[in-house]
Amino acid sequence: MSTRPLISVVDDDVSVREALQSLLRSVGFAVRVFASAEEFLKSDYLRDTGCLILDVRMPGMSGIELHRHLVAGHSEVPVIFITAHGSDRETRSRAIRDGAVDYLSKPFSEDALLNAVRTALGPK
Amino acid sequence: MNSPSPQNADPPQTLFENFFEFSPDAIVVSDGNGRITNVNSQVERVFGYTRAELLGVPVETLMPERFRAAHPSHRGSYSDKPSTRPMGTGLELYGRRKDGREFPVDIMLSPVETSGGAIFLSVVRDISEKKRAEEKVRQSEGQLQELIDVMPQQVFVFDSDWNPLFANRRELEYTGLTLQEARSKDAVAKIFHPEDFKKLETMRERTRSEGAPFEMEARIRGKDGQYRWFLIRDNPLRDEQGHVRRWYGTRTDIEDRKRTEEAWNKAQAELAHVTRVMTMGELAASIAHEVNQPIAGIVMNASTCLRWLAADPPNLEEVREAARRIIRDGERAGDVIARIRALATKTDTARERLDMNETIRAVVVLVRDELYRYRVMLRKEFAEDLSPVLGDRVQLQQVVLNLVMNAIESMSEVADRPRELVIKTQNDEGGQVQVAVQDSGIGLDPQSKERIFDAFYTTKPSGMGMGLSISRSIVQNHEGRLWAVANDGPGTTLHFTVPKYHP
Repeated sequence: MSTRPLISVVDDDVSVREALQSLLRSVGFAVRVFASAEEFLKSDYLRDTGCLILDVRMPGMSGIELHRHLVAGHSEVPVIFITAHGSDRETRSRAIRDGAVDYLSKPFSEDALLNAVRTALGPK
Repeated sequence: MNSPSPQNADPPQTLFENFFEFSPDAIVVSDGNGRITNVNSQVERVFGYTRAELLGVPVETLMPERFRAAHPSHRGSYSDKPSTRPMGTGLELYGRRKDGREFPVDIMLSPVETSGGAIFLSVVRDISEKKRAEEKVRQSEGQLQELIDVMPQQVFVFDSDWNPLFANRRELEYTGLTLQEARSKDAVAKIFHPEDFKKLETMRERTRSEGAPFEMEARIRGKDGQYRWFLIRDNPLRDEQGHVRRWYGTRTDIEDRKRTEEAWNKAQAELAHVTRVMTMGELAASIAHEVNQPIAGIVMNASTCLRWLAADPPNLEEVREAARRIIRDGERAGDVIARIRALATKTDTARERLDMNETIRAVVVLVRDELYRYRVMLRKEFAEDLSPVLGDRVQLQQVVLNLVMNAIESMSEVADRPRELVIKTQNDEGGQVQVAVQDSGIGLDPQSKERIFDAFYTTKPSGMGMGLSISRSIVQNHEGRLWAVANDGPGTTLHFTVPKYHP
């Protein structure tokens, strides 16, 4: 029996956090949620995380900064950005250039989310 | 008082000799040949000759050399038609003293028939003092004229019927009219802007009966063909019966002031516009962020519901949890909108007395480019007697701007009829000022008509759906109303009211 892949969600918005957790669980993923980048870094879950869903703008360290921090630390965890600030094309293309798997504007469809997650996790 | 008794009186001969001798005027008596036969003592004083020196010499002795040659012929024609009259009417006459000094004189001539033939009396009065006084008056008049000419204003005198009697140099310099043209009554019709000329005529008609001073602003054309704004002031001069005899008028160039005012209004309106755009931009970002979060939640929770319902067996507990989150997030989104509405219509307004026509004009300046770009004809039907309102200038300009921009956009697709925008103002019967913005655009279907004032409802592909919602809140904060009416023909008319200003 293979372990279910762990998806970590970092978003300061409780509605989004809870909805993501519930939806991804209903699909069969293991999910951990964090209210800030700092909280995620303090936890031990980076090692086990197969896919990281990051809110772009958060109080304290932003999603973008957390991603750069991880890339600088040679982490290869795939990252999906989500944002409620509309599609800022420049931020989006920079995030993709920096190696993000996808950049989704809230509200996004279930399909868009799951496609991105599956891409991030790669072929089994 | 002792009146002289007849027995004490001088004989008439002596009395008249005394009149002659002591007359305050110099009297020269001459014969038909122009020779002096008698002079009185005043002649001696005035001319500096003794009586003996003058007797028998020609009267020309008493005049400057340059007049002497022509004088005998004048004398001749006088002898032919003698009468009592002033000498040399219209001419400046001079006497010459024995020492050669000249002085201005008035001379009265009178023929006297005597038994020894005709003699002539010349009554000579030294008018040096009078001349000096006149010269002084002339000088002071000249100075006054110069002052009036160099004044930075155009100065006029009109008769009671506004026929120009006088205009200073400034007017001629500015208008390029000749003196004769400027003196004509229809000069004003030539140089006043036609609209302002009508106003002037009405004003004059009104003040003619009242005889009160008046002032108005008007555009006057200069000799370069350009109009400039002037402040026109006319003041009446009345006679003792109170009838107006003259109008004293000035025209002061206020073009620069007008321009400053206009620039100021424009800057203010632009600032209001920028503020509005910025507010809307910030609002849009804030709305997007605040509303997108719960909506993202709702969408995902609904997906979750479907997933758990589709499971075998369905996990109803999970469905219930997700449904509860949907309700919570839906309420959260509603709260956000309520907060935005409250923000957009916050009541710390700056109320002042406003002329709605002016307020609208300032907005029209802003949308000129838009009107041009969308080839929209603007017609203003402003009530001239519009009552002032109490309101926040910037907020009401936002309302007008919103309505006008909506109207323009509603006509952007219209190709089979004129794109006409009509802005009307009027005093309504309910003690309010009503503004109507009428377009010939695509119009509203009944469903939209109900909803256009709702927040986030829009019929435009790129609209936010906030303009009319905020506009209505602003108008309601002013204790007014905003509503839409479908035109009989194509298009829609948006009406709003604002209460009149009560001092």
